Parts: sequence; structure tokens; C-alpha cells
Amino acid sequence: MAHNTTTVPSHHHHPTTSASHSHSHGGGMGDMMMHMTFYFGFKNVELLFSGLVINTAGEMAGAFVAVFLLAMFYEGLKIARESLLRKSQVSIRYNSMPVPGPNGTILMETHKTVGQQMLSFPHLLQTVLHIIQVVISYFLMLIFMTYNGYLCIAVAAGAGTGYFLFSWKKAVVVDITEHCH
Amino acid sequence: MHFIFSNEVVLLFDFWSVHSPAGMALSVVVVLLLAVLYESIKVGKAKLLYQAAVSLSIPTSQLTEETDQDSSGSDSPPVSRTRLRWFFCHFSQSLIHVVQVVIGYFMMLAVMSYNTWIFFGVILGSAVGYYLAYPLLSMV
Repeated sequence: MAHNTTTVPSHHHHPTTSASHSHSHGGGMGDMMMHMTFYFGFKNVELLFSGLVINTAGEMAGAFVAVFLLAMFYEGLKIARESLLRKSQVSIRYNSMPVPGPNGTILMETHKTVGQQMLSFPHLLQTVLHIIQVVISYFLMLIFMTYNGYLCIAVAAGAGTGYFLFSWKKAVVVDITEHCH
Repeated sequence: MHFIFSNEVVLLFDFWSVHSPAGMALSVVVVLLLAVLYESIKVGKAKLLYQAAVSLSIPTSQLTEETDQDSSGSDSPPVSRTRLRWFFCHFSQSLIHVVQVVIGYFMMLAVMSYNTWIFFGVILGSAVGYYLAYPLLSMV
């Protein structure tokens, strides 16, 4: 196997992983430098693109900040799309139904079905933002897939900070039919 | 790379290496419980937000109007103490969000091991978690 191309630190676990994979990956795996467990290191870390290799602690710090900001931007984009959607919605029909209240009283609950027109500018903007959101979410997944401990912590911390900052002023009315976003 | 049926896998961490059928069964159970936890955290976060809004006596319609107006000084009902409670509630929600993100990524990495038993564990755990947790969302 091509162990001579792998870096030295934190690769003492490689014999076990190659032993567990060797019976099925005869020569199929092209990238032998892929970690399969979490590690902390900053030497020869390839990040997303072929020219982007981290070799020093300073570069790792810069990558940490960049990934942190990317995760924060992703959370902000999610919430911005939600608010944009709510502002541009057109109500289609109202539907009232009686609902038992907390004290045994009967309340009238009104459901409003909302939607967007297909060829309107808000919908096109939503589509473009959706594409950007999908691409960034895949980038974050690929960054997490490097199994580098520093970068994974950056993703998690950035997501938490972005969620905290951007939904601070925004309390969402909890719709009981709303699934995870 | 393709899915394989195997009793040997290394999952997420160096110490989590499985070699035997018993170890594999235990790993599948752990991954299943992780997926159940993920689904219940999603429901728990929504319920926490709803209960915080109710307990702080803020009518939910007023919450959306506050965001639509996008004004920073129009907090008429909340006093500073209520704002502090809202701050703590939102901070704990952010922590729960971090846990949700991390567990979601862990499940993605577990599926990436390309072990079919682990994959079944994740799918089954998601199904069981959804089945158990989502009815709780509509309970007030």
C-alpha cells in the first residue's frame, strides 16, 4: 500500500484501518491520505480544493477563522431566507376551525395558507439563495469530512454562534406542522 | 467505494474499533440511540422555543410583528428582567443547536464508514426517533 505518501504524525492507526478495508478495497481507493478517525494536526491538511493545503499553525488558524465565518454565514443565510419568505408571501386561503383551549374553552384557530407566485422576483431570489445554501452546506459537510479536529470545532462553533446572533431578534412562531429546517 | 457487510469497522474515533459480531451489534445499538437522540433534539428545540415564548407572556403573534417591523426599541411588554430570561433561553437554545449540528455530522460520518449494518442502525434510529418524538411537537 502507498504508506510512503502519507504524513507521519497521527498515522499510527493506519495499519488497523487498512487491515479492515484491505479485503474490499483492492486498488480502488485513490486517496490514501484520507483519515477515517478524528485527529488534531495541522501538517499537510488538504482543504476542499487541490491547491489549498495547510502546512503551518498560522495557516491552520486562518483556516479555522474562515471555516468559522462560513458556518456563521450559513446560519445567517438560513434565517435570512426564512424572513424573506415570510415577507413576500401571498395569502391564498383562510381556514378557521374550533380548537380546545387551555381551560376547557373553545378557541377559534385560523389557518392561513400562504405561497408564492412562481415567476415573481422573490421566488427567483429564493431559488438563487437556495442554491447557495445547498452548496455551502455541502462544503461544510466536506470540511467536516476531513476529520481534522480543529476544523470540525470551527464548524460547530460557527454554527452555534451564527444561530445565536442571527435568530436573536427573530422569534419564530412555532408552526406545529413545520419540520426541521 | 461501496457498501459492504462486515464485522470490522473503525467509527469516528481511534478507540472505537470493532472486530467481532458482538462489538458490531453494540455499535449498531449506539448509533441507533444517537439517531434517536438527534430526532428528539430537533423536537425539543422547537418545544423549548414555544414554551419560552409562552412563559414569558409574549403573544406569539406579537413576536412575528416585532420581527416584521425590524425595530430595535419597540419592546413594549418585556421588562429588563424578561429580556434577561429571554437571553438565557436563547443562549441555551444555541447550545442545543451546536449539539444538534455535531450529532448530525457524527451520523453523516458514521454512514460514511460504508458499513451496511451501521447504515441500517442510522436509518432505523432516525425512523424510531421521528416516530417517538414528532407527536410530542403537537402536544401543548
